Amino acid sequence: MTTTAPTAKIASSTSVKVRRFQDRLATAILWGMASSIIVMLSIFVIYLVWIGARYITPDFLFGLPKETEPGGGIGPEIFNSFYILILTMFFTIPIAVSAGIYLQEYAKPGRFRDIVQFSAEALATVPSIVMGLFGLLIFIYTLHWRFGALAGALTMTVVNLPSLMRVTQEALNTVPNSLREASMGIGATRWQTILQTVLPSSIAPLTTGVVLVAGRIFGETAVLIFTAGLSVSINAPYDFSPGHTAETLAVHTWYTHSESIVPDVDRIGNGSALVLLIMVFVFNVGARLVGRALSKRFTGKVA
Amino acid sequence: MAVAMDLKTKLNAKDVDIYYGSFQAIKNANLAMRGQTVTALIGPSGCGKSTFLRALNRMHDLTPGARVTGDITLDGMNIYASDADPVVIRHRIGMVFQRPNPFPKTIFENVVYGPRIHGERNYKKLQEIAERSLRQAALWDEVKDRLNRSALDISGGQQQRLCIARVLAVQPDVILMDEPASALDPIATSKIEDLIGELKRDYTVIIVTHSMQQAARISEFTAFFHLGEIVEVGTTNDIFTKPKEKRTEDYITGRFG
Amino acid sequence: MIATGQARRSHRNEAIATWILRSASLFVIGAMAFLLVYLTFEGTKTFFVDGVSPFEFLFSTNYQPDMKHPGALVFIVGSLAITTFAIAVGGPFGIAVGVFLSELAPKSMAGILKPAIEVMVGVPSVVYGWIGLSLLVPLMRQITGGVGFGLASSGIVLAIMILPTVISLSEDAFRSLPGTLKEASMAVGATRWQTIVQVLLPAASSGLTVAVILGVARAIGETLAVQLVIGNATILPAGLFAPTAALTTEIITDMPGAANNSPLEHALFSMALLLLLIAMVLIVFVRFALRKRN
Repeated sequence: MTTTAPTAKIASSTSVKVRRFQDRLATAILWGMASSIIVMLSIFVIYLVWIGARYITPDFLFGLPKETEPGGGIGPEIFNSFYILILTMFFTIPIAVSAGIYLQEYAKPGRFRDIVQFSAEALATVPSIVMGLFGLLIFIYTLHWRFGALAGALTMTVVNLPSLMRVTQEALNTVPNSLREASMGIGATRWQTILQTVLPSSIAPLTTGVVLVAGRIFGETAVLIFTAGLSVSINAPYDFSPGHTAETLAVHTWYTHSESIVPDVDRIGNGSALVLLIMVFVFNVGARLVGRALSKRFTGKVA
Repeated sequence: MAVAMDLKTKLNAKDVDIYYGSFQAIKNANLAMRGQTVTALIGPSGCGKSTFLRALNRMHDLTPGARVTGDITLDGMNIYASDADPVVIRHRIGMVFQRPNPFPKTIFENVVYGPRIHGERNYKKLQEIAERSLRQAALWDEVKDRLNRSALDISGGQQQRLCIARVLAVQPDVILMDEPASALDPIATSKIEDLIGELKRDYTVIIVTHSMQQAARISEFTAFFHLGEIVEVGTTNDIFTKPKEKRTEDYITGRFG
Repeated sequence: MIATGQARRSHRNEAIATWILRSASLFVIGAMAFLLVYLTFEGTKTFFVDGVSPFEFLFSTNYQPDMKHPGALVFIVGSLAITTFAIAVGGPFGIAVGVFLSELAPKSMAGILKPAIEVMVGVPSVVYGWIGLSLLVPLMRQITGGVGFGLASSGIVLAIMILPTVISLSEDAFRSLPGTLKEASMAVGATRWQTIVQVLLPAASSGLTVAVILGVARAIGETLAVQLVIGNATILPAGLFAPTAALTTEIITDMPGAANNSPLEHALFSMALLLLLIAMVLIVFVRFALRKRN
């Protein structure tokens, strides 16, 4: 049987050449697009470091802000950011993790489950400024509270319920069913199984997810402008009272440009932006490290 | 394998049907399983033997859409009665699964998981239980120096014996085994088979197996399943040397399955 | 088989735990419902208390809220315009990178790109706005000779911000396709690119639609970053490069100074309600798209 003729006929040279060229061109374009994202992000990081690094002094990081003069610091704002973060987590984690466990481990597929999932998805899509107004409406206008950390944290709780629920559900999903069977087969109740086996096995992805969400809470602005306020408490730098205004770092960065009248806008703005960026990395890398450490500790499971 | 024909019936299934949604997986199953013996459930794949086994400790409660009708009694008491507690039932009827499924905890924590769940807090007692169960599972000598190491670090065969120890720790009356050696190598398999031979002195063992040779080696009684029905029940010797039903004979001689 | 004391205790704990968990789920439903009801209540005060007609609110450009003429058309157009720009740029780009990650990227590249995207998700919107303000606006000023603020700047910033969302949802959409589709196509001699365009893209269309819709949702709700680069001029956009305003930016600009119960405050809440309703409509679209897939 001759071998030259058939292959030459099947592979019509023009068509294949054109298609292969298109394939290569498209591949190159896609590579370019993907790389451009990395390049763009690098530019952002380098730029922020370039314009902000010189301002990061201990005075800046721990000092008090000033209303009209140059030389203010962001100490209380950093404190407030952490304070509100922790307060928010304090409320959100119990509710979101519980709801997540219920949806993933208990609820039978049906109306109730659908409605809860839908509510969570809906909450996740509401713009954060609308949430901020909601918090304003409830806490400041209706309940007549003052602007403060508590109003901010409670509103942030509602904002973050959906993401923490998703984190919980995905973490629980990583636990294979054979473990649940083994536990219940020995006579454990579903709750005992969850508490003693499923939750411990899912602690690594759960914690990673929580830290990542925490990172996003740290940078939230629109909600807190209307609930936690635009200035720091008079008892700065460290005021734990939930009813005193608690401007966070992110809010301060915005405020500096929009409303503030200090002459060193660049200094405060660039410095704050850089600190925020650094915190993003801290949370991201932290999440990964924590996840890896927990995986190892809870023997055998790979992250 | 001496067979005592006057052993009492420990676990009895009468007119059992099992449905998954509208599909009937088990039709009219009747089987008396005697105490302190090994009863083997054999048959081609997909014939329902695992389904039947899981009904014996109410594992189908965990499957939405699954329905079990009929009577299954342990020592005369119906395990599906409305006031029967699955938690207690699974305490008395334990299960070992096809793939070893140790918890990602230490060996010790795996073994004492059951007793802890059922309320035992005394550490000394737990240590005793752990040693006793691991000895019964013929695993003690191999792991006694590494009880605090992860259960996932031991071999597959050892993990399966650990799972058996885990079940033994709650001191059940009956042990259900769903093809316990099918995921293991021949050496580990023979260790498990030896173990079953030892266990039947104190426990009632029901074992699903796809290996007829295994059934012939370790069981006193055998039930042959086909297409969701129990076709024939008898002593293992009778089933394998003088089967009464044609389908049984066909399966034994390898004509299908 | 009657429950022993210990078993009874376990069952009681189980019942308590189940009750707590279910209550948490109910809280989620309650929060959403409460949000809808309360915002509707406050957001319709413009119409019921101040006597403004919804028609005027939605279609008039005469924005003088204190005189009870809160024509919000300027902002509605602004929001729609920047969102359209953002999705026109960010949508295809995001889908393309999604394809890249799912079909083309070697592990090494994915190992850099995916963490990069994760970082992008975590960057606060103020920081994006700040970069837009200090980098993009001067750049636009140079290129166009205008002020640098406006639709285009906002659209670009938004496009960048929605990229992570569109990319990861697109990637998921492609990954969830059965491998047999790709194999069947390659088996008849199609190139990889042909397979992507002719087979994978259509097959993943519902997932990609979801990616785009959620990108839109993200864009239309973004406030801070846009406010810093859009110019905040309450006039209809005169072009891509002239300052204008959006619903979200108007709210954040004027709300801090609005007196409680003033017509201005009511108007702003009505805008918030409008945004909420848009978000709800988008979710319904997403559900639709998902149902079509199944």
